[in-house]
Amino acid sequence: MQKTKTLNVLIPVLSILLAFFIGMLIILALGKNPIEAIGYLMKGAFGSKTNLANTVVRSMPLIFTGLCTCFAYRCGVFNLGGEGQFLAGAMAAITVSLLIGHEGWWVSIVAVLAGTVAGGIWGLLPGILKTWRGINEMITTIMFNYVATLFMGYLYTTALREGSVPQTAPVPDATKIGRIFPDLRITWGIVIAIVLGIAIWYFLFYTSKGFQLRAVGFNPVASSYNGLSVKKYMLTAFIVSGAIAGLGGAADVLGTQFRLISGYGGGYGFDGVALALIAQLHPLATVAVAYFFAVLRVGSTTMQVGTGVPTSVIDIIQALVIIFAVAGSSMMYLPKVRKFVTNLFERKEAK
Amino acid sequence: MDWNTIAEVLTSAVRMATPLLFVALAELYSERAGLVNIGLDGIMAFGSLVGFLVCFWTGSPFLGVICGALGGVLVNMVYAFCTVTLAGQQIVYGMALNIFAPALASFIYRVVFGVSSTLAQATLMKTVSIPVLKDIPFLGKLLFDQTPMVYAVYLLVVVTMIYFNRTKSGLNYKAVGEYPKAAETMGINVIRTKYIASIICGFLAGMGGAYLTTCYVNTYSDGIVAGRGFIALAAVIFGRWSGSGVLMACLLFGLFDAMQLRLQVGTDLLPYQLFQMIPYVMTLIALTIFGSKIAGPKSKGKPYYREER
Amino acid sequence: MSEILRMEHISKQFGDFYANKDINFDVQQGEVHTLLGENGAGKSTLMNVLIGLYQPTEGSIYLRGKKVEIDSPAEAVRLGIGMVHQHFMLVEAMTVFQNIILGDRRYKGIFIDHAARRKEILELSWRYGLNIDLEAKITDISVGAQQRVEILKALYRGAELLILDEPTAALTDIEVEGLYSVIDKLKSEGKSIVFISHKMREVLHVSDRVTILRAGKTIKTLLASETDGKELANLMIGRDLVECEYEKKESEQEPVIELRNVDYNKTSKHNGLNGVSLMVRKGEILGIAGVDGNGQSQLSQIVTGVTMAEAGEVVLKGCKVNHVTAADFIEKNVSHIPEDRNRMGLVGNMTVEENLLLKSTQDCAFCDLNGWHLKKKAMRTYSESMRVKYDIRCQGMDQEIRSLSGGNQQKVILARELEAKPDLLVAVHPTRGLDIGATRYVRDNMIAARDAGCAVLLISADFDEVLQLSDRIIVMFEGKVMGEYSGKNPPISTISLAMAGK
Repeated sequence: MQKTKTLNVLIPVLSILLAFFIGMLIILALGKNPIEAIGYLMKGAFGSKTNLANTVVRSMPLIFTGLCTCFAYRCGVFNLGGEGQFLAGAMAAITVSLLIGHEGWWVSIVAVLAGTVAGGIWGLLPGILKTWRGINEMITTIMFNYVATLFMGYLYTTALREGSVPQTAPVPDATKIGRIFPDLRITWGIVIAIVLGIAIWYFLFYTSKGFQLRAVGFNPVASSYNGLSVKKYMLTAFIVSGAIAGLGGAADVLGTQFRLISGYGGGYGFDGVALALIAQLHPLATVAVAYFFAVLRVGSTTMQVGTGVPTSVIDIIQALVIIFAVAGSSMMYLPKVRKFVTNLFERKEAK
Repeated sequence: MDWNTIAEVLTSAVRMATPLLFVALAELYSERAGLVNIGLDGIMAFGSLVGFLVCFWTGSPFLGVICGALGGVLVNMVYAFCTVTLAGQQIVYGMALNIFAPALASFIYRVVFGVSSTLAQATLMKTVSIPVLKDIPFLGKLLFDQTPMVYAVYLLVVVTMIYFNRTKSGLNYKAVGEYPKAAETMGINVIRTKYIASIICGFLAGMGGAYLTTCYVNTYSDGIVAGRGFIALAAVIFGRWSGSGVLMACLLFGLFDAMQLRLQVGTDLLPYQLFQMIPYVMTLIALTIFGSKIAGPKSKGKPYYREER
Repeated sequence: MSEILRMEHISKQFGDFYANKDINFDVQQGEVHTLLGENGAGKSTLMNVLIGLYQPTEGSIYLRGKKVEIDSPAEAVRLGIGMVHQHFMLVEAMTVFQNIILGDRRYKGIFIDHAARRKEILELSWRYGLNIDLEAKITDISVGAQQRVEILKALYRGAELLILDEPTAALTDIEVEGLYSVIDKLKSEGKSIVFISHKMREVLHVSDRVTILRAGKTIKTLLASETDGKELANLMIGRDLVECEYEKKESEQEPVIELRNVDYNKTSKHNGLNGVSLMVRKGEILGIAGVDGNGQSQLSQIVTGVTMAEAGEVVLKGCKVNHVTAADFIEKNVSHIPEDRNRMGLVGNMTVEENLLLKSTQDCAFCDLNGWHLKKKAMRTYSESMRVKYDIRCQGMDQEIRSLSGGNQQKVILARELEAKPDLLVAVHPTRGLDIGATRYVRDNMIAARDAGCAVLLISADFDEVLQLSDRIIVMFEGKVMGEYSGKNPPISTISLAMAGK
């Protein structure tokens, strides 16, 4: 019984350790001291209050896109469009706040809502194509990502451009999402992110609808035989996961970024998928893994300055974690490996 | 617009279409064997770096292109092992490649040239014009005054079309993507075919990446691939998994790319992003209209287990 | 006659399950040797071993007296073994011609020599009377034609031994006649044939010898000329082993469900219903007997609301149902033990507890706040009590259900479906693949449900099961109702004939 649970924890942990080991070998091969590099990494992430705050700030968008993936995949919807939905949310939020202007704190609530709705709509489109025309959502969501990115380009170069630099005007001060501590960049957005993570966890495991959504995700045929409307749940998963990413986009642009610029949001979607998979689609673990990713990213800059080891070694480590973690899980489906593992556990239990 | 502008845009379109074609053909070979590889961007990034480095060190763009292609093969073997041997999810590993390979490329570049160095420059491949043909008015400059890579890719399109439509091996290859179990019962080695497909895919996508740094610009920078892999993915769908279709799709997408570049420097009439969007929007529309009818090779995306009940 | 094939002591294991155990089988040149057995008896597995798709766990294969190792389908093709699979191995997007030459290694050269190959294939098809348009796409030709392509494909590769896996399953009567003549032609040319089937009539018609498989083992080999359908059926089902022990009842109560002239996918003999009328009364078990694949799957889906009838009326508890879903039927207290428990009944990756409660998390016993809070404690108490009541052997309620044995999985379904106190229970192959103990348990529970006043519709390919449990018996053949019989002292030989369409 404990077998699957143990493996669910064991595989990601081993993958992280293995990836780090390889990363340290690479650093060693460069003629640098890996321990020293890790030291700088830690210092960069946790060395000061500001750095610590930075890790939290960096983790926020990742938490949202990770939760987006988590929610969709739990229902068997392979939404790769987190990035597009995130940007849709960011664009809607900034458009609304710039249009309304300096009016007061209520604007930020309207803007956040607009972002959430926009993300939901951007998720709904591939959902309709999937349920209505049976088109694989993995391809369509990628296409929608690019459409969203390019539309953002149109906003910051043309429609909402301010001045000679290709970027939009900043969000009015009154509309910005407030900081929790005046001297740190952490906003209430992170609170929303964590609360959302807990809410999704509660929804999936402690409500009837969440239970049914998971059943649909695991086995749509059996679910329909047991009276669940598969299409309805899938469409819901598209919309809600899109809305989660959209909310993230709104929170990020109103709390951290303040304006749209070239390259904004790039990679958030795929990072979200990656970390949710490493977290074995558990919402709380997803929040934790997102923070872990953020720590690595913030710390890596200090490492590069301190030791000359390029930040990209951290990206390599992250990619290796994904490769190992997912390879580990898919290996469990190979008949031979499965037999081997079963034997292993049985022998243990026999002892 | 006068004739000169049109000729310029068309020449630029052919140039834009070339890396797309390499990569779209790579994806075509992969999907024809049932492997959907969304990691093209990653393979290209690595290919472009290897191509650039070799070109920078040896001064030979040709050697750069070949080594870039081999680099692509190397990276794609990770994908092949995980999806074919371990029967993992193809989309996930494609994605992993997209994170892994560019990071590796960026890392190697920084190790070679230092963390904050000035921009290194290598030589570009020279155009080779074909005598007589290049003197054809209008078309001559467009088609017969290009780098050898351009000629190579069109030759490759022809070879691909012949391979899939006329040869025994091509027929067997397609059967693997359509119905691997049937192929297996006919004595075709499915696993081997899938590995060969991954090698071809890595080779061509790496070559497409190397084209960027040896024929297009003479430097390497992170993000040089700029989503071309995904446009190529769209081109394969839009071109309905055939050599000629992919050719048309890439030329069309190349044309839009050329037009948006022109718009970027020229007028404010139309936002250039609109043209950049067109490949994706067109692919979405095509998918919506034809639905699952143009789903491509039937077994694509599915892992293949030989003994299964 | 000389021996062409001998398989000795073949065993094939999947996990803990033996699909084949110690099987001996041989084929002489120019004969049709039939493998006869129920679904799941191990016929297809044995043949997949022979063509190199599976590797046997134990045993050896001899071709013309020489021991051979068939490690891949390519090797089987090289040795002259060809198989026509039940689910055709044809690439739909390709033409007939392309399918036939697929994987061909006999000729050198890179390009397809269209004209020469075409001539060769046409000669073959003429010689064996297999008429096909070579340039047609597979999707555009009939099932019968697809089968001819499969046969031609094998012959083109020089097959001397041809395996036909349930070749008549999807054919019309005329197409079956055509197949028989092709088989005669093949025999006269000295080819040997392994014919796989579970239909007595055709087996007696085409075979020289018959080997009966049951539960993965060889039971007996007989000369077709020296046996009859009854003997074969007895050997195949092993019926004389168990005797009836359940009390039969005659219910006079009101019908719970009634079908009137229901059609579904009418033109298909094996996947459709044609003018089916039947009713199930409160407190009785109506058994549907018949060989698998005569419309039973479709019947079960219609009486549980999974699919809708195309014509005719479905009356549930006195109300005519029109536009329905499975949820509507569940709402009306219809329970379903589906035919494929892993695909349709259970969510393999979820736990025992979650599967037990799959339909009832909206009940106020298990949730507050309109479903927004699950009462985990109540769920656990309930599932633990089910574990005791239904004797579900598992390590704990959090064990993933896919790791349970088939019998325990079925008990979970049984618990879920019976605890709903159904008015109608539809049970499809409820004991398929279960051991004796679990089988007994499932049957006892169905009888208990009947005695509690539930209407039970039992659909089973296990004739013995239908005889034992049913208060009334209906025989289905090719989507039609062949007749209705009393469950008390049923006329077994008449029913057997009806099952064969007579």
